[in-house]
Amino acid sequence: MKIKLDHVSVKFGDLYAVKDISMTIDKGEYVTILGPSGCGKTTLIKIVSGILRPTEGRVFVDGEDVTDVPIEDRDTGYVFQNIALFPHMTISDNVGYGPRVRDLDSEAVTGTSRQYLELVNMLERAGMMPNEISGGEQQKVAIARALASGSKMLMLDEPLSALDARVRMELRYEIRRLVKKLGITVLHVTHDQEEAMSVSDRMILMRNGGIAETSTPLDMYRRPETIFSAYFVGETNFLECTVVGKTKTGKTTVRLRNDTIVRVAKSKFNVGDPVVISVRPEHVYTASDGLPATVRNVVFMGTYWRIRTLSATDDYIEYNIPADDDIPELGDEVFLVFNKKATLVFARPSEGLEEAIRLE
Amino acid sequence: MSIFKRIDDLSSSPRIRKGWFSAALIIFLTLIIIPAVFVLLEAVIEWESVSEVLGDPTMTGMIWGAVSNSFSIALIVTILDIVVGLPMAWILVRRSFRGKRYLDTLIDMPLAFPTAAVGISVVMFWGAPEGVAIPGLGLVMSPYLIVILLHTVFTFPYMVRSLAGILDQIDPSFETAGMTLGASRLTAVRTITLPLFRAGLVTGFILCFARSLSETGGTYIALQMLGVSSSFFTGPTFIKYMKDLPGADPTGALIVVSVIMIVLAVALLLVAKYMMNRLRLPWTKVWPVWERRLSKGLAARSKDILTFVFLFVIVILPSFYIFAYLTAPSGVADLNSLFGAIGISFAIAGIAVVFNIVFGIPMAIYIARNGNTRLGVLLDNLVNIPLIIPTTVLGLSLSMFWGSFNLPAGAAFFLVTLGHISFTYPLVVRNITGAISEVDPSYEEVARTLGAKPFRAFSKVLLPIVQSSVIAGAILAFTRSLGETGATISISKDVVTVPVYIMDLIEQGQYYQGAVAAMILIVICFILMFGVRYLTGRRKQGA
Repeated sequence: MKIKLDHVSVKFGDLYAVKDISMTIDKGEYVTILGPSGCGKTTLIKIVSGILRPTEGRVFVDGEDVTDVPIEDRDTGYVFQNIALFPHMTISDNVGYGPRVRDLDSEAVTGTSRQYLELVNMLERAGMMPNEISGGEQQKVAIARALASGSKMLMLDEPLSALDARVRMELRYEIRRLVKKLGITVLHVTHDQEEAMSVSDRMILMRNGGIAETSTPLDMYRRPETIFSAYFVGETNFLECTVVGKTKTGKTTVRLRNDTIVRVAKSKFNVGDPVVISVRPEHVYTASDGLPATVRNVVFMGTYWRIRTLSATDDYIEYNIPADDDIPELGDEVFLVFNKKATLVFARPSEGLEEAIRLE
Repeated sequence: MSIFKRIDDLSSSPRIRKGWFSAALIIFLTLIIIPAVFVLLEAVIEWESVSEVLGDPTMTGMIWGAVSNSFSIALIVTILDIVVGLPMAWILVRRSFRGKRYLDTLIDMPLAFPTAAVGISVVMFWGAPEGVAIPGLGLVMSPYLIVILLHTVFTFPYMVRSLAGILDQIDPSFETAGMTLGASRLTAVRTITLPLFRAGLVTGFILCFARSLSETGGTYIALQMLGVSSSFFTGPTFIKYMKDLPGADPTGALIVVSVIMIVLAVALLLVAKYMMNRLRLPWTKVWPVWERRLSKGLAARSKDILTFVFLFVIVILPSFYIFAYLTAPSGVADLNSLFGAIGISFAIAGIAVVFNIVFGIPMAIYIARNGNTRLGVLLDNLVNIPLIIPTTVLGLSLSMFWGSFNLPAGAAFFLVTLGHISFTYPLVVRNITGAISEVDPSYEEVARTLGAKPFRAFSKVLLPIVQSSVIAGAILAFTRSLGETGATISISKDVVTVPVYIMDLIEQGQYYQGAVAAMILIVICFILMFGVRYLTGRRKQGA
């Protein structure tokens, strides 16, 4: 099913939880909504499923205006953050609830229930109560329940946040495989960027009730459009600087705060523009010459070492070295160079860098 | 300080702690439980007079009439409370609207009204009793109906409170989840929230039923004002009538009616407990079209409107109607004897509450922390017994128990206080038990690992956390004690508490005097209840 929001806002009292959002989700698309807590992610999917009514704007499903259709007629599967399996019903009754409230005969109810439990490999648990199965299993049942009402849209509200790390990893791929098989349109809310990147066709990054950026996981990681996206998705180093050179083809050079000159990716900026460059730790290397920096901290991350330095520009810059390599000592002096293609340039925000990446 | 430290040191020893709990247990059994049910034994001792009563058809007829009035009225009132209380609880918990705080307070108000005052007020509102100058609706109703209306007034807040308390703990996302799966609001409530609600329903049922069964003062006053107090009885007013009857020895009849009421009430409690664990609403069938239609629009709105009409017309207006007397002062109130009565009432209520807090807390801790052991379950059930036994019966039983000890004549005050301790005990212990079982024991364990001795861990960690429940239980018990008539009169005629004083005035036909005393008592209860609530509420906000 195709979902479209048209200038949708939700106000709680004087505060906008969601402000003027327009977006389109294609049929069968798996879209994650990512963002810091309190940015309006959950509000957005509550609007799509009809749990909340927008203060302004319209919601369309397959071209039909459903803004005034009540929740029970929306036919939108919704998986709650706290799972919300009905504690007084068996697994099988939980999954059969959707068909049952539509007054299907008991055979059809059991049939549908079994069918969807089988789909999530939970058929053998059918007779148990929700508190008798594990968290991951409960979440699978919740998904089966949401799908068993025959819905072609599924809203997932941080479905994995309450689970153990390993279960979380396994389940997220299982969910994707399942919904892709059934051709279901999914809106998946999460604050875990890794989760978002690994399962979605497209990511919507939200901030302060609005959309900061929408693109594929790869694009949002490699070529974020805003400083906030660069900061929130993945890890990065920011350095304030000024454009000092620009070729016709767009190749740019900038001057850092300590007057070091650095070549960066192509950009649209002109000589004299105040800018911020963003370079991810994996694109920072040490060399025999470059930006001088002092090692301040060395942390073992499992597959690599993360080195934190204080550069001559008075910025903290982090870089990685492979797990098996020798590590520098605290206080060592190193020279940093950046992969120039991967060094992105953004206009220096008028409200200041701190403000531009603030999470709240 | 040194006493505190002494206690603290002593509390390290498991033997001392065990001893303290045993003392609380012994006090509970000897002062509260055994006297409360002693009448069962008395029935055996006094078998002669009991069998005499059983052989007298007029007598058994009267007793059965009274008992069946009591139980059928309690049942009707409780069902009415549930039917109207459910939508009201929903409004209070799940909706947000301006003025909700005031509605919340308004619903609690009748709790501050002593039933004796409500008795006068309700009869004034619905009927036109002789000798009352204030005009009411002037409806002629059977005493049965008036008693139902009266009992609804003071049981309704209990019901709404216990339903709202449970509803508040049920995650609203269950209902929403049901609705995203295609259930209409009504279907979702019926198939999801209500079944999760069982415990609240049963608790509310027991509370309201017991309260209605127990009520004496207000009922007697209402029947007196209607002029039927010697022809229409509930269980408790029958006891009052028999005790006051000159001449004949009432012992046999009193024992019979008491035993019947205790046995039925305890049986009811057991059935209710059983239902709480086993009952499964068999309503799995769904009628999508009808339920959807009832879920919104006119049907849903008229349900809300009817709920509010019920609240105002049946509960609030009749309870406040007594204040109409302020518009027509006639005569001067005898403040001296009134304040004497108030002094006695306060002394009894105060002693009872302090006693119950001191000896109830160890019991509450034990029940809360050992809820799954056999002794824990047994005590948990025993604590409810004084709650479910009608207070008049309880008082009668208690006075029979202590009567067998040949106490001096001056012991009446002491006995009445013991009676009040008995029926307020469950109120205090229930509240504290509930609060303690919510508190993670690890808080106290952390305090112990930091070096606090058990008493210190209790007084500095657990007590501050459950403090508001202790206070809530104490207020509830204090106001219940202030308003109690049945237990007082069945123990002694000489201890004149305020409700007894009011009842005497009404009996003498001095309605104005009675109303003034009732109003003053209401105002005192009010100040107490809302004053303490304000204080505790502010402390919570400050923390």
